[in-house]
Amino acid sequence: MAKTASDTAGLIPEGMELPPARQGERALARRRRLAAYLMLSPGGLYLVIGFLIPLVIIVILSLSSGGGLFSSGGKTTFTWEWSNYSQALTENWKIYLRSIAYAAIATTLCISLAYPMAYWIAFYGGRWKATLFMMILVPFFVSFVIRTVQWNFILGTNGLLFGPLKNLGVIPQDFHVLRTPVAVIAGITYNYMPFAALPLYVALERIDRRLVEAAKDLYATKQTSFRKVVLPLSVPGIFAAVILTFVPATGDYVNSTILGGPGTTMIGQIIQDYFLVRHLYPVAAAMSVILMLGMLVLALAYARALGTEDSTLAAGAAA
Amino acid sequence: MTTEPQHQPGFNAALARGLTSQRMSRRNMIKLGGVSVGALSLSSILAACGGSSSSTSGAGGSSGSGAVDFDPANAGPTLNFSNWPLYIDKAFKGYPSLEAFKTASDITVTYNDEINDNASFFGELLPSLQGKQDTGRDIVVITNGEYLAALIQNEWAIELDPNYRPNFDANAASWAKSPFYDEGNKHTMAWQSGLTGIGYNTTLVNKVPTKLDDLMSTEYFPSGTVGVLKSDAPDLVMVNLGIDPKTSQQPEWDQAAEWLKKLRDSDTFYAAYDQGYVDDLTAGNLAGSMAWSGDVLYYKIWEGQPFEFIVPADGALLWIDNMLIPANAQNPAGALEMMDFYYKPEIAQMVTEWVLYMSPVPAVQDLIAAHAASETGTYAKQLTETAESPMLWPDQVLLDQVSLGRNLTTDAESEAWHATFDTIWEQ
Repeated sequence: MAKTASDTAGLIPEGMELPPARQGERALARRRRLAAYLMLSPGGLYLVIGFLIPLVIIVILSLSSGGGLFSSGGKTTFTWEWSNYSQALTENWKIYLRSIAYAAIATTLCISLAYPMAYWIAFYGGRWKATLFMMILVPFFVSFVIRTVQWNFILGTNGLLFGPLKNLGVIPQDFHVLRTPVAVIAGITYNYMPFAALPLYVALERIDRRLVEAAKDLYATKQTSFRKVVLPLSVPGIFAAVILTFVPATGDYVNSTILGGPGTTMIGQIIQDYFLVRHLYPVAAAMSVILMLGMLVLALAYARALGTEDSTLAAGAAA
Repeated sequence: MTTEPQHQPGFNAALARGLTSQRMSRRNMIKLGGVSVGALSLSSILAACGGSSSSTSGAGGSSGSGAVDFDPANAGPTLNFSNWPLYIDKAFKGYPSLEAFKTASDITVTYNDEINDNASFFGELLPSLQGKQDTGRDIVVITNGEYLAALIQNEWAIELDPNYRPNFDANAASWAKSPFYDEGNKHTMAWQSGLTGIGYNTTLVNKVPTKLDDLMSTEYFPSGTVGVLKSDAPDLVMVNLGIDPKTSQQPEWDQAAEWLKKLRDSDTFYAAYDQGYVDDLTAGNLAGSMAWSGDVLYYKIWEGQPFEFIVPADGALLWIDNMLIPANAQNPAGALEMMDFYYKPEIAQMVTEWVLYMSPVPAVQDLIAAHAASETGTYAKQLTETAESPMLWPDQVLLDQVSLGRNLTTDAESEAWHATFDTIWEQ
């Protein structure tokens, strides 16, 4: 590959005497490097302040002891308290597993609902593509919480959906969905579907139509050309959709708080409860770290299994 | 007092109430930690119109202990008052009782209805208190219980000077004076109070309940229609098991936990709530629930819903929401002046006619009855009902049936309590 001017410029050793005509080159190289730092620094600084520092604080807190409101006014001391982690796991391993299970089911539902929709819009949307896609996003201009609360009315025992059915005698009077796992998973699916639809749409939209035409020219049926051409080419989109849905859905606590009932508690709720109500700050911090590491491991393993370079990067970024 | 804008002739207070109070119950805001639903409630928008929370300049900072000048003459010109949503009288614009205070004292109060639950509000104050800094609030309202105990124990509540509260001394109800969690009212004065009992929908129950055990019987409630208040359930259950919560220990807590597990696993059970049970009650998802008196009474008296509130046969839980001055507040003298101002019967009346909780000023009952006599129509009827509700004006018989609940005052107690009770719902 031919070296570009900036590559060569970067290779000029510092302190080497250069003919006057080339001295500007070094200055240019410096400016370019500086420009890169300048462009990275606002976002980088933002991440350091907003993510890295809190992360370090949480990790330190998760290895601290104390924090009792009455004895120490909520202050903790760093003591390498590993028992916080064992306490977090022994008390709540079931909830971790449940959160992962709910998120996995919801993610599967999201993908199976969003894929056909994104497919249709990308391939047959024509000039309405943008409008149609906007329509998926429009409900999401309303606050997350408000949308979830609306599900209370839809799924209510005598609500929009089941009230009429009960009156017609189609379902028994004491039938209810609200406060059950079904309601929580339905809520998560609904709330995270755009996060699945968006990357799927982008991946499908990007597919070169000539490849599909070529498949048809080679006598592939519609099904085969979908299976052999479209689906493999949309894998990066599926991958990103899974990560973008699964990771936040696991930690979600809004849906289980508003729509859930006994036996549908998710890990986000428990962490909040440990922080705010039980004021066991170190254990709550340990639970957050476990959740974070668990997600990272799952995402990386998934990236490994699916294996595109694109998706490995995406996994790293998402986790 | 002449300042009662709410009662001007030709001014329809009932209408004003309907228009200005997109009523959510005081406590039924959805608790979601970081997610601020409150920001979307009409009440907050109205409150926001009243101005943002600005720092006060006043009689200088003061720490939890040590000499604080409470002389009203030295009070600062502004005051930040943090309270629960819809927990004060409201007119079309502003708060009549606070305007009356402004007229009387020349202190401008910035009112923030920002407290949605004790735990997260306490969490909000904590960093400032730990750092020995001003929390930006001069008065906050906290329910009796472990957060209040923690505030007092850590000296995060400024000690009040008993010499500067004449109205309190003259008018406070017996239950508001020297409560066991704050003897001699050294740090707190009651704002309002209420009962936790059973609220039910008369059209949905199979049979009218009378005791707490009825909550787990399908003879009384259809299956899947009973709600539980997580925070109040342990004390309420203990009262109904004949245990005095105040002196209860682990064995008694285990008994109450057993009872709650039985309810959780019974056919009638629907859900356990932090807040929000009233939404499910009004939506018809619940036939009955452990409930706060003022919530149910509001829907019964002002909204005409078929709701009833009862004190279970074996007793109820009484809770008191207390005004206190956080450490390092800017205007403690003004704060105490305002706290005492709300013990004037005619001011307390303004609040009670709106919030329908128990007033710490018993004289208000007669004032509301008199007000009812001077009005006509539905409004008069609603006021009469307010003046006559036994849940607002507890007699000694009722007071003997209620308990203020267990006051957790050490880390070990708090940890054991939460491990016993929170885990029931965290399954």
